[in-house]
Amino acid sequence: MKELGPLIHSFWYLLRGAGMTVLMATSAVVPATLLGVLLALLHVFGGWLLRSAILGYLFLIRGIPLLVLLTFVYYLMPLTGIDLPPFWGVVLVISLYYAAFVSEVFRAGILSLPQAQWDAARSLGMTRRLMLQIVVLPQALRLSAPPYVSLCVSLVKATSLVSIVGLWELTMAPFQIFIGAAAIYFCICYTLALYGRHLERRVLLGH
Amino acid sequence: MPFDPHFIARLIPALLEGAKVTVELAALTMAICLVWGLLVALAHSTRGLLGSIAGGYIQLVRNTPLLIQLYVVYFGFSMAGFGLSGFASGLLALCAQNGGYVAEIYRGGLQSVSIRQFEAGRALGMRRRTLYTTVILPQVIARVIPPLTNQSISIIKDTSQVAAIAVMEIMKITEVWVETSANTYDVFLGAALIYLALTSIAGLVGKLAERSLAFAQ
Repeated sequence: MKELGPLIHSFWYLLRGAGMTVLMATSAVVPATLLGVLLALLHVFGGWLLRSAILGYLFLIRGIPLLVLLTFVYYLMPLTGIDLPPFWGVVLVISLYYAAFVSEVFRAGILSLPQAQWDAARSLGMTRRLMLQIVVLPQALRLSAPPYVSLCVSLVKATSLVSIVGLWELTMAPFQIFIGAAAIYFCICYTLALYGRHLERRVLLGH
Repeated sequence: MPFDPHFIARLIPALLEGAKVTVELAALTMAICLVWGLLVALAHSTRGLLGSIAGGYIQLVRNTPLLIQLYVVYFGFSMAGFGLSGFASGLLALCAQNGGYVAEIYRGGLQSVSIRQFEAGRALGMRRRTLYTTVILPQVIARVIPPLTNQSISIIKDTSQVAAIAVMEIMKITEVWVETSANTYDVFLGAALIYLALTSIAGLVGKLAERSLAFAQ
């Protein structure tokens, strides 16, 4: 059992890293979600100018690896003299990146509402705002919950990239540590994935 | 100084050299995963031990970061005494992770075919084999093309992580050039443009495949 030495030795270290992963993921997921919902609404209801701006943004984000953007910001910050702690720089990039994917998930949720729902709301004389508030959004959010949870899993995994750009996190040296790190990521992500599956079943039952 | 033409003239061939490695890695990963994912999906659909192993594999690779899988493969093999090259380790890790995703795409495609299609085929007295080759599989293939296109785009982007084990693909070359030239803007802009071009081509190929199979919808 000598091989397990480094793993046991670094248990607390890994656990602190896990804390960092959770902190970073939750700090990024909140702005990503809010911005994503906003982008989805603007994409569906905004004019052509807004729509093409959002399409351009989606094209960029979908085509460029997150690692390229993270490294770019890492090198850029000292150049521009923006004095942001590296942690918040990373959180900012991950939020902006995932906002694009969140917006696509919510947009799909909005568009998958049956036409009858819109017609019914309009024929009841609802204003656009009321229709969004009590008819469209609650249902769209519910429909998009399962893919949204998969995105959260992907976001948690993406925080591991931060180790490449030098910010201390769950990933570091000897081989056994990687197994430990994998185990911790698995615990976080699998729990989320199970929750996603539970939501999926509920959404399917509701229809 | 940003946008120096002499610098860009030297930069572009270097980045394209990296793009070659990126394309090789992504294309090999996709080709292997199309087959490996099918095997995993088939194993997962069986009952008993094999099915549980395949299910466990899918959950394991989907719920741990690719970067950790890269390190485990790269350092694990070298610790076990037979070191793999960075490229081979990267390929192995990319296939391990994306095989799990592709298997789930196949399963989703098969499940999306209505049970009535199976019943109708059987009611017409079709043999199992005819039913699958003429009715079920064409629909499955048409339905898995869009998610497979997305997966191939995500594979192209994921190859950038192989830079962490010093494979000279676009990302690693970007890092080296930024470190040695301090010309941050040009290098990153070049890298981003190449990634955008590669992912756009993948998206386009997917769209064409989708259109040519539209009859099966």
